[in-house]
Amino acid sequence: MKSLIPAIILLLTSILMLTGPLSAEDPVGIDRYTISGTVTDATNGEELLGATIYVEELEAGNATNLYGFYSISLPEGKYTLIFSYVGFQTIQKTINLQSDLTLNIELEMNQEMLTEVVIKGEMKGENLRKPEMSTFKIDSRSIKKIPAFMGEVDIIKAIQLLPGVQATSEGGSGFSVRGGSPDQNLIILDEATIYNASHLMGFFSVFNNDAIKDVTLYKGDIPASYGGRLSSLLDVRMKEGNMKKFSGSGGIGSISSRLTLEGPVVKDKISFIVSGRRTYADLFLKLSNNENLRDNKLYFYDLNGKMNVKFNDNNRLFISAYSGKDTFGNNDFKMGWGTQTLSMRWNHLFSKKLFSNFTAGYSRFKYSLGVPEGQPNSFVWYAKLNDYYFKADFAYYLTPNNTITFGASTVFHQFFPGTAKGLGEEPFFSEFEVPRSNALESGAYISNEQKIGARVSLKYGLRFSLFNNIGTAVLYNFDDDYNTIDSTVFAKGDIFNTYFGLEPRFGISYSLNEVSSLKASYARNRQYIHLASNSTAGTPLDIWFSSSPNVKPQIADQVALGYFRNFKENKIETSLEVFYKKIKNAIDFKDHAELLLNQELEGELRFGEAQSYGLELLVKLTEGRLTGWISYTLSHSERTIADINNGKAYVSPYDKPHDISVVLNYSISKSLVFGMNWVYATGSPVTFPTGGTWYQGVRLPIYSDRNSYRLPDYHRLDFSFTYKGKQKKERKWRGELNVSVYNVYNRKNTWVINFKPEENDPTKLYAEKTYLFGIIPAITYNFKF
Amino acid sequence: MQKKHICLASSLLLRIILNFNIILNKIHKLNLTNKLIKLIVIIIIFTGCTEKIDLELDESYARLVVDGEITSEKKSHQVKLSMTSSFLGETHDPPVTGANITISSATTTFILQESQSEPGIYFTTPDVQGIPGELYQLDIELPVEINGHKHYSASSMMFPVALLDSIGLKYDDRWDVWEVQCYALDPPTIDFYMFEILKNSIMLSDTLSDKMVVDDKLYNGQYTNGIGVGWLDPEKPGEKLYYGDTVTLRMSRITEEHAYFIWEVQRESGYNNPMFGGPPANVVGNISDGAIGFFAAYSVEYGSTVYEEQKNITYY
Repeated sequence: MKSLIPAIILLLTSILMLTGPLSAEDPVGIDRYTISGTVTDATNGEELLGATIYVEELEAGNATNLYGFYSISLPEGKYTLIFSYVGFQTIQKTINLQSDLTLNIELEMNQEMLTEVVIKGEMKGENLRKPEMSTFKIDSRSIKKIPAFMGEVDIIKAIQLLPGVQATSEGGSGFSVRGGSPDQNLIILDEATIYNASHLMGFFSVFNNDAIKDVTLYKGDIPASYGGRLSSLLDVRMKEGNMKKFSGSGGIGSISSRLTLEGPVVKDKISFIVSGRRTYADLFLKLSNNENLRDNKLYFYDLNGKMNVKFNDNNRLFISAYSGKDTFGNNDFKMGWGTQTLSMRWNHLFSKKLFSNFTAGYSRFKYSLGVPEGQPNSFVWYAKLNDYYFKADFAYYLTPNNTITFGASTVFHQFFPGTAKGLGEEPFFSEFEVPRSNALESGAYISNEQKIGARVSLKYGLRFSLFNNIGTAVLYNFDDDYNTIDSTVFAKGDIFNTYFGLEPRFGISYSLNEVSSLKASYARNRQYIHLASNSTAGTPLDIWFSSSPNVKPQIADQVALGYFRNFKENKIETSLEVFYKKIKNAIDFKDHAELLLNQELEGELRFGEAQSYGLELLVKLTEGRLTGWISYTLSHSERTIADINNGKAYVSPYDKPHDISVVLNYSISKSLVFGMNWVYATGSPVTFPTGGTWYQGVRLPIYSDRNSYRLPDYHRLDFSFTYKGKQKKERKWRGELNVSVYNVYNRKNTWVINFKPEENDPTKLYAEKTYLFGIIPAITYNFKF
Repeated sequence: MQKKHICLASSLLLRIILNFNIILNKIHKLNLTNKLIKLIVIIIIFTGCTEKIDLELDESYARLVVDGEITSEKKSHQVKLSMTSSFLGETHDPPVTGANITISSATTTFILQESQSEPGIYFTTPDVQGIPGELYQLDIELPVEINGHKHYSASSMMFPVALLDSIGLKYDDRWDVWEVQCYALDPPTIDFYMFEILKNSIMLSDTLSDKMVVDDKLYNGQYTNGIGVGWLDPEKPGEKLYYGDTVTLRMSRITEEHAYFIWEVQRESGYNNPMFGGPPANVVGNISDGAIGFFAAYSVEYGSTVYEEQKNITYY
C-alpha cells in the first residue's frame, strides 16, 4: 500500500496543475453570470444529449451533457444564443445577461425531413471542433431505419456496421473493436454494466430499441469518467419517458412483439416509461402435432422501466431498471440466462456552474441449467455475477472555454463462477463448486475540456484506478509450468491483493479551416475483470474472472490521429483515422483449455502482448433524403503469447484486414423509405490441418500455425422497405409496415469448416462448410399512438 | 414416454459441458445428434446447411507417428510406426519399417519383432504381461533419420486398476439405446479411466473416438453406482443385442497424460463449431523429439453380463 501514496500525490498535483492556470484567466473585477438549463425535445420532453449552445458574439459555445444539461458563464452583456440539434429546428434567443439565468429550451423536431432545410448561423460542424475522436453516436430513430435481421431492430447489429468494429461471428451479438476481444467492451445501460448482451445464443441483443434513446460508441478514446475495459465503451441511454402526454408505441414482428407505454405522472415533473418485448416462437410450438415440441418453452423477454422526477431546476431523479431473460426447456430440462440491472441517479446542481450526478445501482448476470428435481439424473448448474456500484460525477462549467469534470466510482463485484450439483435424495453426483470470489474496483478522475483560441480544443484527463481482491476466496498457486502447487484460502473481508495505476487520457483538435480539422488522441486503459471464453460465436455460459495474484491487469495504450472534413454545409461528415494500440498482459487460453467448471481456471490462462493498428475511413450523410454512412477499415491485429503457437505472433481471432460497410437510407417519398446494408469483410482467421495420420481409426490432424488460414470472405446485402400510412392530423394512431430481406443474394457465408470422410471411401476426407442463413425475409408492423 | 427424451439430452448436456470432448463423440457415435437437435427447438435457427467446398491446404513436413501400448494383460503387445501424410484426399500413411524397438521396465526388457504380413507393426512375444506399479520405457531405433532423429523414446506409468464390481445393462427407451453401467469403487486419488465395450468378445469400441475416457471429478473416492460408461445402438448391426449375448466392459486405469491425449484426439477429430471449444491445436503426445502419438501403459479389468429376458431391464 506504500506505493499508493506517491500515486495519490501525483494525482493531486495533476489536478492542481490542471486547474491552476484556469484561475488566472479571468481579469479581476469582471463578474460572470451563468446561463444554464436543459435542452429537450418539445414533443415529449426527452433530454437532447449533445445539443449545442452557440454564443454568436463569442463565436464559442458548449454542448449539453448526458442529462441534457448545459451551463455557460459569461460576462455581463447582450448575447445571441443559438440552440441546435441534428434533426431539430434551431432556436435563437437574445438575452441581456445581468444575473444568473435558467433557460430551459425545447426544440421542435424537424418534420420536413424531405425538403432541404436551411439552418443558419448555428454551431454546425461540432464534429470538427470537439477534441473527441473515434466515437460514433446514433439515435434509436436512425437505428430503426437499418435493415434488421428477422426484422428485430438491434443496436448491437448497428454498432457492428461502424468502422473499426467487427461482428465476432455471423448473426452474433459479440463485437470486436479495433481487434480487441468482446470482453474488452464496456457496455452500459443507464450506467449499469451489461455483461452479456445476447439473447438466443447471441442472435439478438438485450436492447429493445423502443426503450432506447441513443447510443454512443467510444472506440478507445474513452472519457476519463469511465474505465475498466481496454477497447471500447458502448454507452446506451434509455428514454426518459414522455413528460408532455401519454403515448405508446409497439410492434408485431416475425420473432417478437413489443409494447412501450410512457407518459407524465405529473406533467413536466414526473414521467415514466415501461417497455416490454417478448418472443413467441413457443406459442407456435403449442400448435405442433409433435408432443416433444409442444412441451417446450422457448422464449426471451426484455422489460425496461424508468421513472424520472424533476423536483426543481436543481434536483432530478432517475430510476431505471432492466430485466431480461432467456428460457428454454420443459419439464425434463431447463436452461435460462438473464440480466437484471437497477440504477438510481440523482442530478443535483450545487450551483448553476456545478453539475453533479450520483449513481447507485446493481447489475446481475446469471445462468442456470439442469434437470428439475423429481426426474432421474436431476441436477442444477448455475453461475452468476453481481455488481453493486456507486458513482459520483461532477461537471464544473468554469467558462465557455473550460469545463472540468471530476468524480469517483466504485464497484463491488461478486463472482460465482459455477456450481453443479445433483438433486434429490440420492443425487447422481455430489456438489461441485468453483470457488466464488469478490473484488472491489474503484476509480477517481479529473478531466478538463479546454478551448484555446479559435482553432484548438483540448481534452486532458487522468484516471486513477484501484483494484482489490477480497475474501472469501480460494487462490490456487501455480508453478512455472502452470501446474497447481497448492491453494490458499482467504477469510471473509481479507484484502489479499491490490493493483492500481494511472490512466491518462488526452485529445486535441486543431481546426484547419471552417470545414476541416486535425485530431489526435492518446488513452491508457486498464482492465481488471476478464471473460473466460474460447468461443468465437459467444454462448450464454460466460464466466467472468478477476485479476488476482496470478492474473495481472491488462493494460492498453492507444494513439490515434485523424483528419476530419465536412462537405456540403456539414451535411456530409467525413473522417480518416489511423490508430495504434498495444496491450500488455494480454490474456489468451492455452491449447485445449477447459474453461467451464474448472476450479483451476487461472492455470489455463496464458499471458503476452497484443497489438493492432489500422486505418478507418468514414463518410456520413447526416441530412437529406439520403442518409447513412459508408465505412472502410484496413487493420491488423495480433497477439504474441508464450506457450501459444510456440511463442510466435499470430493474428487475433477477430482480425479482418478489410472491412466495408455501406448503410444507406433513401426516402423515396413521404411514406416510403428504402434502406440497405452491404457488408464485406475478409474471412475470419482459422487454423487448418497441414498434415494428418490415421490413429486408431481416426484421422488425426496436424495443424498449421495458429490462425494462418482464412475462411472465405464474408459479404451480405440486406434490404428494407418501410411504408408509413398517410398521416392524418386528427388520428393519433400511426402505423408503419416494415419489410426486410436479410442476405438478399443468398450468399452462403461460411460459419465453420469441418472435415468429413467421403461416403464411398472413408479413408478420403473432404472439406465441408456450414453456413447459417440463406435469404431471410421478415415483416414487422410498428405503431405509435 | 416421448417427452423423456429431453432427460437424457440434459444429462448428456451436462456431461457435454463437463467433459465436452468425450461425450460429443459419444453422441456422434450413436448418431444421437439428430435426436438431440430435434429436441432443441431453436435449432431451427442453428442447424444451418452444409456443403462441400474446395480447400487448398499446404502440406507440412512428414513426421514419425508412434502408436504403442503395453497392458496388464498377458498377450502380444504392439507398436505401430508410420509417417504423416497430407490431410485431405489420398490419405495413405507410409509405414516405417526395419526399426529396432524395445519396451523395458526397471527389471526387464522386451524386444519387439516386426510383423511379416503388416509392415510397420511390431509385436512382443505372446507371453508378455505388464506389472502394475512399473514404469515402462519405449525405445525406437530407426534405420534412417526422420526429421533429423534416429532415436525416439517415451515412457508411461502403469497404475493398478480400480475395483470393478459388476456391470449392468439398462435399456433407455428415450434414446433407444442400451446403456452399460459401471459399479466400481473409485480410490481417493485423482484417477482417469478408459472404458471399452465388447459384445461376444468382439471389440465394439474399436476406434479412439469410440472409447470413453473419464476423470473422477464427480465421483472421487466414491462408489460409482452404475453410471453409464458406454452405449449400444440397436440400429447398428454389430450392436444389436439378442438373448444370450454377452456384453463385456473393459475398464482401464490410464495416466492423466494418456487421458488428455485421447480427449484431445477426440476433440480434434470430432465436429467443431465456433460456439464451444477453442481454436484447434495439435494433440500433445508423449513421444520424444517431435514425433506424433502416444505410448501407453495401463492395467485392465473386465466385467461381463449376459443379456437375458426380464433381466437388467430398467425403465426410467
